[in-house]
Amino acid sequence: MLATRSRLPPLRSLASLSPSQINTATRSPLQVFDRHAKCLQKDRAAARDGGNRSRTVDYVRDDVANRMIERFRDIKRNFSSVLDLGSGSGHFAKLLESDQTKKVTMLDLSKLSLERDPDAEFEVQVERLVLDEEKLLDMIPRNSQEAIVSCLSLHWVNDLPGVLVQIKEALKPDGVFMGAILGGDTLFELRTSLQLAEVEREGGISPHVSPMADPRDMSNLMSRAGFTLLTVDVDEVSVRYPTMWELLDDLRDMGENNAIIGRRHLLHRDTLAAASAIYKELHGQEDGTVPATFQVIYLIGWKPAPQQPKPLERGSGKTSLKDALE
Amino acid sequence: MQPTALAAGSSSTVVATPLRRLAVASTTTCAKEASDYGQCIVATYADVHKDTCKAEFDKFGACLRQTLKRR
Repeated sequence: MLATRSRLPPLRSLASLSPSQINTATRSPLQVFDRHAKCLQKDRAAARDGGNRSRTVDYVRDDVANRMIERFRDIKRNFSSVLDLGSGSGHFAKLLESDQTKKVTMLDLSKLSLERDPDAEFEVQVERLVLDEEKLLDMIPRNSQEAIVSCLSLHWVNDLPGVLVQIKEALKPDGVFMGAILGGDTLFELRTSLQLAEVEREGGISPHVSPMADPRDMSNLMSRAGFTLLTVDVDEVSVRYPTMWELLDDLRDMGENNAIIGRRHLLHRDTLAAASAIYKELHGQEDGTVPATFQVIYLIGWKPAPQQPKPLERGSGKTSLKDALE
Repeated sequence: MQPTALAAGSSSTVVATPLRRLAVASTTTCAKEASDYGQCIVATYADVHKDTCKAEFDKFGACLRQTLKRR
């Protein structure tokens, strides 16, 4: 005992983001992401430079929010309230118009990013709620919401099928869920460059880019969660950067740093330099920039209700398609 | 020749964090070596294992260390 007491704890070369209460040996297989670390990362991103750094890198979320509001405007229905899951500073909520929506409740894991922008920038009434999306039903009663939207936050959720079920439960019958979630091809350039660099330099790989949902799985997940009248479509946002380093900086300022449980907190600088060289040679454009792809899956699903239109029984058709087409 | 404050400040003095210096070194100062290394990987990337492109990386790494050493 005496011998150990005199020994100093080993010096840490860098601050690990999370005291990681999660024991990697006993966690369930559905736990992939460190939500505590993610919350800290988002808080720090929103606080850096008084929020200005975070505002500079809003371009991906704003672009996706723009495409999502077009889909939302297509719903010919007025909402007295909309719940925005993982709203961040309100990229989507800012675009809501008062003739369709009365009030928006923004919900996010990170308090600082939720409160980054003042109320004046919103056209509709705003309420903010700090809550982990994974524990939606802790605060939101069942059958209470007319519409739930989520713009680029569900890719950090551990149990995606479970969260989709919670969303469906929180909706009123005939309520709508509309979401944008990052798909598996997102950042494939960065993923491949880092993998090649790690294999060639260090002889092994470790996850640096999250696993993300496959577009083909999303419609299955949605119908398994109990949504009907599904619409799933895929779109890509491609951004060009001067080099890989600007991409890494911007991802950090977006609060999108790596938050995989058991991730390596350190990338050797040789490996980073190698990845930057590979990124440029493998994916670089002729004008000297490097592209980064964000694959976005848009989801629309409705909670079943008796008055909803339904497909007829199989074999109940009376009109022949052949006659109609001839 | 007008050494303006902007030109001096924007390149490396303001943002001279170690990572930023590595970024500049790996993409600008050692661009030639980086490109050689990258092309070696691209040529063999279906069958990459440890030290496939060691010779190219040694040159790249030497250039990086040389650049990062002098201030």
